[in-house]
Amino acid sequence: MSAEAFHIEVASDMVAAVASDAEPLPEIVVETRGLDTWYGDFQALRKVNLSAAKGRITAIIGPSGCGKSTLLRAINRMNDLVPGYRTSGEILLEGAPAPTDPAGVIALRRRVGMLFQRPNPFPMSIFDNVAYGLRLERRRSRRDLAEPVERALQRAGLWEEVKDRLERSALGLSGGQQQRLCLARSLAVEPQVILMDEPTSSLDPIATLRVEELMREFRDEVTIIIVTHNMQQAARVSDVTAFMLMGEGRAGELVEINRTRELFNRPQDRRTEDYITGRFG
Amino acid sequence: MEPLAHPLRPTLDSEQRQVRDLVLEMGEMVDVAIAHATRALLDRDVEMASQVITGDADVNARQAEVHEHCLSVILTQAPVARDLREILGFLHMSDELERMGDHCVNVARIGRNLADLPPLRAPIDLAMLSRTVAAQVRDMLNALVGRDIDRAREIAARDDRVDRIYHRIVDDILQLMVADTRDVYAGTQLILVAMNLERIADRVTNLAEDLVFLETGNVEELG
Repeated sequence: MSAEAFHIEVASDMVAAVASDAEPLPEIVVETRGLDTWYGDFQALRKVNLSAAKGRITAIIGPSGCGKSTLLRAINRMNDLVPGYRTSGEILLEGAPAPTDPAGVIALRRRVGMLFQRPNPFPMSIFDNVAYGLRLERRRSRRDLAEPVERALQRAGLWEEVKDRLERSALGLSGGQQQRLCLARSLAVEPQVILMDEPTSSLDPIATLRVEELMREFRDEVTIIIVTHNMQQAARVSDVTAFMLMGEGRAGELVEINRTRELFNRPQDRRTEDYITGRFG
Repeated sequence: MEPLAHPLRPTLDSEQRQVRDLVLEMGEMVDVAIAHATRALLDRDVEMASQVITGDADVNARQAEVHEHCLSVILTQAPVARDLREILGFLHMSDELERMGDHCVNVARIGRNLADLPPLRAPIDLAMLSRTVAAQVRDMLNALVGRDIDRAREIAARDDRVDRIYHRIVDDILQLMVADTRDVYAGTQLILVAMNLERIADRVTNLAEDLVFLETGNVEELG
């Protein structure tokens, strides 16, 4: 289904849900409308319409260089400091334009967390890593912090493994544990959205499955958008998948967005089918 | 038409080709088995009937090979979309063809039983039913080679004709049995023959549905 058709379908979903009360309303949390981005003269994204709903994990797949990461970074405004970077079109968070001023961007990052390809714990204790975001919110007393830190670590499935060594350096944890710590650090400030840029590509299969399991566990509370090179991962964890491809002038375009099961079973666009079946890419 | 060209995935491509070739081979074996089982029955040729019965082991062996290849593709190649449907479609087709082979064995067994008994007192056109069913199988194999779903739908629609011939044969045999009770044993056996042939044609319709699923991803009830 084309990106536009999917929007219409989501809207009709809502009508159906109101009428029958059978399916909960898909509440669109993140949306881009006609998003164009440029790095200087190079157009990186062209007219991207992406919507990610609460309670659903949205995966973005596509070959290298198709703009997946640019799109993710655009949502979190992480490219704003790149020289020559500019955008047009809209980025909406819960229906309202995402802020662009510096103070607004700080507030935005509190609502939109990010998990990167390689775990990036801060060189401090496990406790301080998780408490970092909370301290920025001026919650300073250790007693105030203990409870939300524990909760975040539990949600990230790490509490049992680290509860006796919270004061030890986070850098001593394994790769999989470090990535879950980063997840706990994001979850601690209770974001509405977590963007994940190939979050398991540096992890072993068991650690990967743990992170995927966690995603399924908290997807009802946090809207997740995940960029992944691993199509099996997209098929395993996501509810909705978007396929991106380089279009004219190498600008990334969103070719198709659909329910994951449909996209991997009956892709509507020939280019999607060719990519997921390994005929190119 | 060669939609399977997988320049980047030669292993998957080669496995898919092998599965398809095995299924087509099974189809050809079933086609021959239908003709031989019917001829053995009509000509009272016990040796030919025995050949059909023992030959079924070859059909079964190919089905096992298809299963093995399909399992291996799913385990090692993680096929999706059309590639997954291709594997699932051929897997199911191999099961249908194996059952068709069993129907031929049933016909051949009955042929062997009836070889020593006197024929019915009036001719029954089982040869016509057998030819029509075998033609359905052959047409379906051609549709499969050409991946022609329109043809598959037409073949499935022709199943009505097989049903009409079958019902006529059953009526004819019933009349013979009512007229002369000495025909009851042979008559009952021949009704079973007709039923086995009719079941083969039903399975051809299933193959047509498999081809439509494989090509389009849609589950269509044909026939």
